[in-house]
Amino acid sequence: MSDTLTLEKTDLKLGFVALLDCAPLVVAREKGFFTKEGLNVILSKESSWSTIRDKVSFGLFDGAQMLAPMPLAATLGLNGNKTPMLTALALSQNGTAITLSQEIYLALSEKVSDWEDSDEVGHQFRELIRSLSRKPAIATVYPYSNHHYQLRYWLEQHNIDTASDIQLVAVPPTKMLTNLSSGLIDGYCVGEPWNSLALINQIGGLLTTGHKIWGDHMEKVLGVTQEWADHHPNTHKALIKALYAACQWAENPANKDELLQLLSLPPYLDLTAIQLGKFKPPYSMEQHFAGENVNQPDPEHGMFILEQMKNCGQLNDEALDFTKLATDVFRTDLYHAAKAS
Amino acid sequence: MSKIDRLNVLLIDDEPERVKALEEALHALGHHVVCQLTNTSDLNEHVEKNHPDIVIIDMDSPNRDTLESMSTMSRNNPRPIVFFAEKQNDRKTMSAAINAGVSAYISDGLQPDRVRAIMDTAIAHFDAHSALRDELEKTRNQLADRKTIEKAKGMLMKHQGCDEQMAYQTLRKLAMDRGQKMPDVARNVIEVLELTNSSNK
Repeated sequence: MSDTLTLEKTDLKLGFVALLDCAPLVVAREKGFFTKEGLNVILSKESSWSTIRDKVSFGLFDGAQMLAPMPLAATLGLNGNKTPMLTALALSQNGTAITLSQEIYLALSEKVSDWEDSDEVGHQFRELIRSLSRKPAIATVYPYSNHHYQLRYWLEQHNIDTASDIQLVAVPPTKMLTNLSSGLIDGYCVGEPWNSLALINQIGGLLTTGHKIWGDHMEKVLGVTQEWADHHPNTHKALIKALYAACQWAENPANKDELLQLLSLPPYLDLTAIQLGKFKPPYSMEQHFAGENVNQPDPEHGMFILEQMKNCGQLNDEALDFTKLATDVFRTDLYHAAKAS
Repeated sequence: MSKIDRLNVLLIDDEPERVKALEEALHALGHHVVCQLTNTSDLNEHVEKNHPDIVIIDMDSPNRDTLESMSTMSRNNPRPIVFFAEKQNDRKTMSAAINAGVSAYISDGLQPDRVRAIMDTAIAHFDAHSALRDELEKTRNQLADRKTIEKAKGMLMKHQGCDEQMAYQTLRKLAMDRGQKMPDVARNVIEVLELTNSSNK
């Protein structure tokens, strides 16, 4: 614990969603990184990003694991109460993918000769879905998320119209697998472990990954309200330090088995985590918790997210100052200050 | 109450006693509960077919994200539903709703003050229900199941450092995720945590 700092608050409650990239929070609690910084943290499992947003906005949580676009969406008041939020730590990089039902994947496999050739995959996918007698339904989870933007980005890149060629639907993550196997949906774009689990259980095939679509990108962040950060500067620093250390631990390949064991504990990811142990997907999703530029909340990525929001019609205000907004929300200054303390 | 003031309400909640009580209260206010869903696999269809003016949903339901997605995706829907808070700067009501564990979505264009009485009723019922819940648990579950749930709660409280209410919520969320009954989830939690404790010794 940094002895020069007096913590404004030591008992904290953080929200998380049971995805593979809640790992830094789980590790920080189970491996004692929070305790080392003088923090007593309770992790609360939440069933939706909407509830995470609301509980952080209204102070029921001190902070939470959030999708990278969420602090921006909350600051802008998109789909909710307008509450300025910020992040001073990125918790993970990449880790999303588009999975297709076995039926569509097998049909596509007959046509695609080189899966590394994105143009060919896109072209064949477009031809395939246009030859179907119905519009395939592709699911995402939440509108202010990389998975939603990546799906739209990829479709647009390959001239597939989100209205006339396919049907965009929303499904909770826990229902993705059953809906895919029962044919209610034909594919989805979500975060891990839901792509790997479809592959392991042979109910789906991988179309592409978020990393292939965008290259390296920020995925989950530690989100807090601006007000909370202002009132708890030292606690915020301690929280960042604990989670940063947990990110390093989670990234270490030597800890992989133990990490999956920890994630399989109730109430985190449940026993499904164990299935991931020996599994290698055909393409790596390049999911990382630490590494060069992984944890720094770069405003440039914030600008990129704002572009995506604009492209899919989520921003109506033409006069928005993207640069100011991105630097207000993605706080590299607080990140560096915490690391130096 | 005139027909104009009658609103169509869609309830999404998997606690049967709470749904029933709230439905009766809303009927008494003169509103029409178009449908109450405990199984939500075709939520999209229900919303499109029934055109609810307001959707009342348990905050712990994973379908909240689905509703929020629908509001941004279904451009062809003439009256998308939006999160109550978006049209409403009443932080006090919102805060009470979140604390009670209930949230609401309203049809875009609907005056928020027409919804306030419904919100207040829902909040009151959710608040009252958490007070009643322990009693309901007792009458609903067999003694052996109750003991299992109590034991699992105790182990979760110890492992997670949380209070009893949060341990109960955790079990309930696990039950919803897995589509299992509470005693089954409780048995599994005990098994896993006992294994962890013994391997840590």
